[in-house]
Amino acid sequence: MESRRKRRRSQLYKWGLYALLLLGCTVLQTVPGFLLIGQARPVFLLPLALAVAVCEDEFSGALFGAVCGLMWDYTAGRTAGLLALTVMGLSFAVSVASQLYLKLTTPNFGLVAAGAVWLVVSGDFLFYYAMPGYSGMAGRYLAYVPLTVLMSGVLALPLYRAVRWVSDTFHIDSGVI
Amino acid sequence: MKDFFETWKFRILIAVAVFLAGLMAYAAANGRLTAAPQELLSVAAAPFQKAAAWVSGGIVSVWDKYTSIDETMEENEALRAENAELRRQLADYDKLRAENEAFKNLAGIQEDNPEMTFVSAFVIGRDALDPFGGFTLDQGTVHGVERGDTVIDDQGRLLGTVIEAGLTSSRVLTLLHPSFNAAGVVSRTRDNGILTGDAAYAPDGQCVFTDLSRESMASVGDEVITTGLGGVYPPDILVGRIVSIEPEASGTSVVAVIQPDADVLGARHAFIITDY
Repeated sequence: MESRRKRRRSQLYKWGLYALLLLGCTVLQTVPGFLLIGQARPVFLLPLALAVAVCEDEFSGALFGAVCGLMWDYTAGRTAGLLALTVMGLSFAVSVASQLYLKLTTPNFGLVAAGAVWLVVSGDFLFYYAMPGYSGMAGRYLAYVPLTVLMSGVLALPLYRAVRWVSDTFHIDSGVI
Repeated sequence: MKDFFETWKFRILIAVAVFLAGLMAYAAANGRLTAAPQELLSVAAAPFQKAAAWVSGGIVSVWDKYTSIDETMEENEALRAENAELRRQLADYDKLRAENEAFKNLAGIQEDNPEMTFVSAFVIGRDALDPFGGFTLDQGTVHGVERGDTVIDDQGRLLGTVIEAGLTSSRVLTLLHPSFNAAGVVSRTRDNGILTGDAAYAPDGQCVFTDLSRESMASVGDEVITTGLGGVYPPDILVGRIVSIEPEASGTSVVAVIQPDADVLGARHAFIITDY
């Protein structure tokens, strides 16, 4: 059983590191030309939100997901709140699913993250490309979505390991066996 | 799990979701892409993006140097041919001088328009969600940037317009976006039209020049510049050259496909015209 001060400090370090990861992922996701293959480039913020959601609990994960989503809204120039709500909902759902149904290993997380990225970028494509009726829909979708999902799924693995390390390192010993 | 839905934590999550939905409704109703919380996030993120863009610029340029040597050689050949063509044109200096009036670079624009003021800005962010090459610049309202300001590249060629100005950063809607509209003119024939983006051409970094008269004598290779009509964009900003001319669906006019002279999808530095 740890002292209250030690637990508070541990929490502060942990969420401070999560915040740094959030800034790092925002930068990596938006640096001009970074990991750009054709029209596709990986998404970092959503896998990070999901990783925190599965390593922490559904409440903290959902709130952190909302902040990640807001950051993504800002960097992508999307209507404020749209991606925030989506990422928040996904973080909550994935956290609950991982507690109740999923055997969470690193490869499993990669698949879950890839699936979530596929859902979000497809939804965004639907709202911001298909519904306005722009031409060349199939071409854009095929050139952009599959590769984005693949790259995001692969890069979600080290991200998950990093979040898992932070979570385990600053884990609070509640004394419950 | 069932118990969770009866806890205060769940109520907080519902409250946050309602807040975000309200934020989204507010942002959408006010025609703004972003809102106050995002402006705060932008202030926090901009310095990091700026630093990362600077580092990335160096790495990418070295990488490009070694990976695109074939492309560079081809470009070299093309430049040699273009150089020969330019030498031929130099013979007719008066004609060239008259044509060059329409091809002003930034220095020329500044010289001819001393009333124009510029803000230098670096591209600090591009998100893959935007298929039309929209990007974030590291200058915002504290630097005098406002929504609607024209954005040009180092050589004074049109890149787009500021669609959202935050405190220390601003988002740019490029001329590849279908929502972009500017009055333009073919410099050689003085035919008027509307510059806009088209999803079919955006992946190739091209835009279109619509409402061009069927009787127009414009041809492939002609340069297109802005007219300044409407007062949104300054006049005589170089846009690009015509790469093909196609009939419009209704048949009443033709559409010219434009290859912008500026590298819209790869620009790393830009100037924002804050006053003219």
